[in-house]
Amino acid sequence: MSDAEESPTFEPAAPNTGDEFEPVDVFPDSDDFDLRPGADSCYKCSTCDTNCPVAEVDDDFPGPKFQGPEQWRLKQTDDDYTVDDSIMSCSNCMRCDNACPSGVPLSQMHNTARGEYVSEQMDTLSVEYVRNRILANYRTSAFLASKVPRLANVAMNFGPARWLMEKTLGVTRERDFPEFATQTFREWWADRGGADASRRNARERRERRGEPTDGEKKVAYFHGCYSNYNTPEVGKAMVRVYEHFGYEVVAPEQRCSGTPMFANGMLADARRHAEVNVSSMSDLVEEGYDAVASCTSCSMALRQEYPELFDIDGIEEVAANTFEALEYLRINEDLTGAVREAEVSGDLAREFAYHAPCHARNQGLDRQAVELFRDLEGAGIEDVGESCSGISGTYGWKEEKYEKSMEIGEEMFEHMAHAEGEVGMTECPTCAMQMEHGSGYEIRHPLELLEAALVE
Amino acid sequence: MASTPHIAVLGGGSTGAGIARDLAMRGLDVTLLEQGNLTHGTTGRMHGLLHSGGRYAVSDQASATECIEENRVLRDIASHCVEMTGGLFVKRPEDSEAYFEAKLQGCADCGIPAEVVSGEEARAMEPHLAKDVDKAISVPDGAVDPFRLVVANAASAQEHGARIETHSKVTDLLVEDGEIVGVEVEHASGPGKRVHGTEGGTEEIRADYVVNATGAWAGRIGDMADLDIAVRPSKGVMTIMNIRQVDTVINRCKPKGDADIIVPHETTAILGTTDEEVEDPEDYPEEQWEVDMMIDTLSELVPMLQEARTIRSFWGVRPLYEPPDVGSTDPTDITRDFFLLDHEDRDGMPGMTSIVGGKFTTYRMMGEQISDHVCGKFGIDATCRTAAEPLPGSEDFSVLRDYMDEFGLRSPIGRRSVERLGSRADEVLQTDRPNPTVCECEGVTRAEVQDAITQSGSDLNAVRIRTRATMGNCQGGICSHRLANELHREYDQHVVRQAWDELLQERWKGQRHALWGEQLSQAALNYSLHATTQNRDHDPADGDPVDFAAFDDGVDHTGGSGGADVAADGGRHGD
Ligand SMILES: Cc1cc2nc3c(=O)[nH]c(=O)nc-3n(C[C@H](O)[C@H](O)[C@H](O)COP(=O)(O)OP(=O)(O)OC[C@H]3O[C@@H](n4cnc5c(N)ncnc54)[C@H](O)[C@@H]3O)c2cc1C
Ligand code: SF4
Ligand code: SF4
Repeated sequence: MSDAEESPTFEPAAPNTGDEFEPVDVFPDSDDFDLRPGADSCYKCSTCDTNCPVAEVDDDFPGPKFQGPEQWRLKQTDDDYTVDDSIMSCSNCMRCDNACPSGVPLSQMHNTARGEYVSEQMDTLSVEYVRNRILANYRTSAFLASKVPRLANVAMNFGPARWLMEKTLGVTRERDFPEFATQTFREWWADRGGADASRRNARERRERRGEPTDGEKKVAYFHGCYSNYNTPEVGKAMVRVYEHFGYEVVAPEQRCSGTPMFANGMLADARRHAEVNVSSMSDLVEEGYDAVASCTSCSMALRQEYPELFDIDGIEEVAANTFEALEYLRINEDLTGAVREAEVSGDLAREFAYHAPCHARNQGLDRQAVELFRDLEGAGIEDVGESCSGISGTYGWKEEKYEKSMEIGEEMFEHMAHAEGEVGMTECPTCAMQMEHGSGYEIRHPLELLEAALVE
Repeated sequence: MASTPHIAVLGGGSTGAGIARDLAMRGLDVTLLEQGNLTHGTTGRMHGLLHSGGRYAVSDQASATECIEENRVLRDIASHCVEMTGGLFVKRPEDSEAYFEAKLQGCADCGIPAEVVSGEEARAMEPHLAKDVDKAISVPDGAVDPFRLVVANAASAQEHGARIETHSKVTDLLVEDGEIVGVEVEHASGPGKRVHGTEGGTEEIRADYVVNATGAWAGRIGDMADLDIAVRPSKGVMTIMNIRQVDTVINRCKPKGDADIIVPHETTAILGTTDEEVEDPEDYPEEQWEVDMMIDTLSELVPMLQEARTIRSFWGVRPLYEPPDVGSTDPTDITRDFFLLDHEDRDGMPGMTSIVGGKFTTYRMMGEQISDHVCGKFGIDATCRTAAEPLPGSEDFSVLRDYMDEFGLRSPIGRRSVERLGSRADEVLQTDRPNPTVCECEGVTRAEVQDAITQSGSDLNAVRIRTRATMGNCQGGICSHRLANELHREYDQHVVRQAWDELLQERWKGQRHALWGEQLSQAALNYSLHATTQNRDHDPADGDPVDFAAFDDGVDHTGGSGGADVAADGGRHGD
């Protein structure tokens, strides 16, 4: 069933600031959306352009106003109206979405145009395509590397190999590849006893907290690739914190959220992964689970990009029931109260320089870590400002974008240097890479601090 | 005959421009006189439908047959003005089955290729059609840009030696010994290209023959020689949507009715229309309920229109004519056919023929018939070539180019530019100079604007109709001043100011009927931009030329009067 059949009318009520935009499939069962109607909301104020971090440093990039409403309005549905190649310079940070005062579905327009560009106009034998495809399918590389993590860690950052990758694939050798964990999150999870163990732990906690033991507190954890392969400590922290509040956690079958694929216009890849994710999540949502992600780009993908770009059974329900990990606890538990009473000592009793990822900003989550931890005894937190980190997932890994990525990040690096703390904090794994790369600081996830504060 | 006859053609709409081209191609001396811009009259205020004839296939089969013939010709000779969108006559469940069948039969009778498609197929072609549409008839309707077409006809006439005078109003017919021998003309700004502020004047133009192609104004020209030409002007409203909700012409398959057609036009879709007789072709009420009716009624076919953004509305008057003995009371019953009124045969006044009625789609055929008629008067035996020779811009061309490589333009901008310029694209767009986009909504670059200025002088509305600049969603809010700026160097600042004022006035006029929702936000933004950055709310320099020489250089940092090192960027604090 298509969107078109579900909702006959396009409804940006006039005036429609921030209203939902519902595209109609051009053809049922395809992902070709006609986004021209989205241009109706644009009144050309250029606020999006002034907020685009790429346009600021890249003079050849025409900016979101052109990429989005202008290009779509000038386009027609016939195949021979092409998409301008500058769409490949957009990093998909989605800041323009947030900046627009008029509810123009900018990132949806960029994502769709990019998908069309890649599938119809890009040479699939070109180095750029191959490189982008490899970067976008990080999960595949990570899956292989995790089989031999120690070897992979050495090999991936081995000088001559990196030189070769830059020359032949255009992957910058300025950056170090992230380290692979010797035990993935899922391996740990299975060793620990999986969902059964979590149910027991949660029951026990509920009893201790004086809550009904048969209570319906259950979440499906979307860990994403990064906390599985690279930072399992984030995943572990999530499980322990949630169990602490009496939640049973399950870790359903899942693939990549699709974030790097959207950014590279690989919509067919993204769709394949999304189908798996939606199918396993929607079954659980039907059983009363909520989906919780520890990565803000993953939660963004599930709750916004999926329903905007794909038409998969159950996608709306999954989107409506997806949350970011801190956000969910702030809604459902007295997290502030718990943190206020807690004290942290040891390794994480530090001052943190916190950066809010762009995708957290889009979900209205940019202040949550700061608001939460400023009351925590033993640790301090300082916001390093609202600039973009500049890496935007795969963008900063491209050889030709590296300099621009660092130029965008400059403001954040400067603020980090001025901040009191010498440990960084952020929810997004690629922002973390950029923060580490630019400052040399170690970077932690808010869930890790929460675990240190709350879980004995 | 010894010397070449000189023909004065009155009216620079599609009919007049078509006649001028035809006569000039047959070797006659032609002067075309138009009181405003080209397309100032009905031609600039029509729906843009290249009729397949389907609309008249039941009620007026003679017109329908002419339409399909000319439809085929124009696809060929005016390919850069025509987009073959195809058209559908859509039947809703409540519409009459008998009429649907009659329409299908009518199309067959008139030689209009027509095919029945199911509701589902129609929705696959046009996903925004209402879910419950029954079925449809597909016909070869198209979209045509009247501005480009008329400009190309005039340009071709000019290439064949015609004199084209715009902003030149015919104020009298010269009658000597009971014969019309010429016209008296008032030039708004001197003959030739229009330049604001140039002294105007009257001119007597003697002609061997006069052709009155002033459409709804034909009666007024007749009055000048006491000839009674009973044109019955009938108004119709059209509402422009910001985007194309449909890429096919959508007609309601019903006997005549208001608000029954949507025509995709360039980046927009145009809803229409009504048919209501008016007294005066220049002064008639424009009412909001007419616009509301377009949107309400047509949303029965395309529901999303109800919430979609409109950018403006405009009205046009049909130059309908029927022979005095018919006496229709309802204007929709008046034939869409055209008539040649030879005033010698009809009124005993030689020297002029009027052409009245007709349609845009059949303009060329009208031109051919009247040119035959005029040539007959002078015993000239020249064949008509307008059906075979492409218009300037429509010679062989392709819109599929590498826009970046060839013109340094981003693809959607290059694509739209090449569509507008047709075979003139290389000549206009290949430039060594910087070529920024001037109008972002429609993707119009400086090179195209400069080309239009070369054709039409300081008149920015004439630049607008040639390029579509200011015709997008901001309606000139963001680009009017940039366009005005393009006039500078060639034209002095007071000329630029007048041209700019005139453009803003024109743009504002049509938006008055679209002021709710998004277009209201747009108008508010335009207002504050223009007021705060361009003194548009109260310009102290308004009216008089500004004496720039009277400005001093400011004060330099030593406190003396400024020299060459005065900061022109506002300076730095403490300087
Ligand atoms: C609402 C509406 C929708 C229409 N839609 C379509 C359509 O979709 N398809 C189609 O084929 N047809 C359509 N038509 C019909 C079509 O627009 C007209 O038949 C056609 O444009 C008439 O052109 P014209 O040159 O005869 O008249 P005009 O375009 O009116 O030209 C007459 C010109 O004479 C000039 N003039 C008048 N008096 C003087 C003077 N004293 N001195 C100098 N110049 C003078 C006027 O300024 C004007 O420019 C539509 C008409 C209307 C009203
Ligand atoms: S998503 Fe980010 S990079 Fe892309 S256009 Fe928007 S603001 Fe610019
Ligand atoms: S911020 Fe929104 S309304 Fe303003 S130009 Fe950008 S898309 Fe258009």
